[in-house]
Amino acid sequence: MLSNEDLAALLSRVALGDRAAFEQVYRASCAHLLGVAFRILNNRERAEEVLQEAFMSVWYSAGGFDASVAGPMTWLINIVRNKAIDALRSGKTERASTLALDEEAMAVAADATQQPQALLERSLEKLRITGCMGELGAPQRQALALAYYRGMVHTEIAETLGAPLGTVKAWVRRGLDKLKDCLEAAGVRQDSLA
Amino acid sequence: MNYLLPERLERLAREYALGTLAGPARRRFERVLRQTPAAVRAVGAWQERLGGLAATVPLMQPRDSVWRALEQRLFASARVAPRGALQWLWGVLSVRALGGVLAGALLCVALLRFQPGLIGLEPQSDVLPQSYVGLLTDSAGRPTVLASSKRHGRLMTVKLLQPVAIPEGSVAQLWALPKDGSAAFPVGVVPGSGTATVALADTSEKLFYDVSRLAVSIEAAPAKAGDKPSGDFVLSGHCVKLW
Repeated sequence: MLSNEDLAALLSRVALGDRAAFEQVYRASCAHLLGVAFRILNNRERAEEVLQEAFMSVWYSAGGFDASVAGPMTWLINIVRNKAIDALRSGKTERASTLALDEEAMAVAADATQQPQALLERSLEKLRITGCMGELGAPQRQALALAYYRGMVHTEIAETLGAPLGTVKAWVRRGLDKLKDCLEAAGVRQDSLA
Repeated sequence: MNYLLPERLERLAREYALGTLAGPARRRFERVLRQTPAAVRAVGAWQERLGGLAATVPLMQPRDSVWRALEQRLFASARVAPRGALQWLWGVLSVRALGGVLAGALLCVALLRFQPGLIGLEPQSDVLPQSYVGLLTDSAGRPTVLASSKRHGRLMTVKLLQPVAIPEGSVAQLWALPKDGSAAFPVGVVPGSGTATVALADTSEKLFYDVSRLAVSIEAAPAKAGDKPSGDFVLSGHCVKLW
């Protein structure tokens, strides 16, 4: 596993057109990034398309990576999440009339440990902020998990959780405020997040 | 809307980073992000906080075809495809069939030579593709840089109409200036003479939709997103939509 420093150095070489560095960045991060895209799209083929689009952007815009703004892995995750969210929202109509037959998506749906809330709880444990975040109610944590891991907007979260839209907006807002406070209280260094 | 009010910026930045900012509001904020370093920093801070939540997502190895397709799209030699197509054509055509094809081709050439309107292509052949074009002049008003990019393309072609003096160790940085007067954002580096292709951070449509002018300044190093021109522009001109 490459360190953040290694990854940042490779990205600066990618910005200069270094193909070998580009392949190293891909090999080091693709499995993690595909996992992120797959959680949002729930379909391997579409997630792989998004991964490919994301790496096209990485090649063309590596010069825009600024380590003082965000860590390299955060920067990559952000590109993938934004592309996956765009793909999810532009493909809504298409998917509504298509029966999902993706076996992996079925397997994920059946495995409770891969559900958004379970992923959130494990992340909070890893960040050592479970106790602090526990001050939030379960629906508030669930709203945050659905937004982050599934790319859901407020109206979709409201529908999924059967709660009023205004309440869901407040849950998400409070969830984010709490996350910020808990991370600061725990002194989690931004660099160690990625 | 004033995006720079701290509370509003913070609210939009966290909703953008989480993904709950949707639709036209998301697109508008992306344009703000390209021009406003404070917004980039606010979003960056939220992405770092949320980044910790991605750490437990199970890994998923992409199929080999993803990397191969990526290499093909980014690095395939432009000559490979036509040569492959030609070989395929030779393989398919027998000598007799080739005779028929040649006769047909000759007939087409003869017909189109005298009746170009027959297949409705006559006017289109004269139409340039939808593009963004900029003509930059120097302080004396002499045309110096011609920049053009297809509307939905990610490459910009830059042609120097006369050489530009770039001091040793410096670069000529091309900037885009939005029409609402907000901060210029960097596009790429242009050479001192000849032509060059500049890879864009996004499609021209997304980058230049709200841009009215392009300009070049001399910088110590290529500018990054959020940077500002360090001095006066040595070249500038209008950026226009060609459709």
